[in-house]
Amino acid sequence: MTKKVKLKISARLVKKRSRRYGFAASRHCRFCGNEAQMAFMDYKNIQFLRGFLTERGKILPSRISGNCCKHQRELSQQIKRARVMALLPYTAFQY
Amino acid sequence: MVSRYEALLLTIPEITADEAKTIESHLDKVIKGATGSIISFEKWGKYRLSYPVRRNDYGNYFLVRFEAETSLLNEIKSIFAVKFHEMVMRNMIIQLDMNQSLVYQKPQSLEDAPVRDVNTFLKENKMEGLMGAAEGVDAEDFDEDED
Repeated sequence: MTKKVKLKISARLVKKRSRRYGFAASRHCRFCGNEAQMAFMDYKNIQFLRGFLTERGKILPSRISGNCCKHQRELSQQIKRARVMALLPYTAFQY
Repeated sequence: MVSRYEALLLTIPEITADEAKTIESHLDKVIKGATGSIISFEKWGKYRLSYPVRRNDYGNYFLVRFEAETSLLNEIKSIFAVKFHEMVMRNMIIQLDMNQSLVYQKPQSLEDAPVRDVNTFLKENKMEGLMGAAEGVDAEDFDEDED
């Protein structure tokens, strides 16, 4: 039985890995420490909230919108409130 | 203990000013019974809804801001949900911070949106005579496909 030798990680593999995680490094949340943006986060402010929905009306994940966990939670709570009050759609193919 | 609330009401599109007044006066009576006051009662106007609610494509929104006793909250909810059930389709009561600013962004209502009418467009762009010129042309003149 031959022992499995752990090969050195080739340069190609290193580049492949860094390509996968590299672009997320410089993202920062637009709400963190920004009072002006926090004031916009309201279920009545649908012009602002619409920027965080896809064309089908789904909420954008935080890895795309760049929000931190806490603000993503608050944002989705406001979007869900607006959906209940028929200010925002649940899905985009209502009509 | 008095705390500040705001309630967004979605009503039927055919609601009259009198009916809105009765809602406001009823709410006022309940709140004034204990210590409290209505800060504002704003009519937003008619809006096109994102999805039909109770088979209505349009609806009127009202935003009420008031300060009331916390124990009255259930009664206030029942005013919107039970007493005025025919008129009010949806309601959402949210507690506000006392120090929070009362400024908010209102979505654009149908009444605020610019009127997109052919006549107003022509008038604004001074093309009033243009539609009149096409009156002499008949649809029959273009039907040349008959074989």
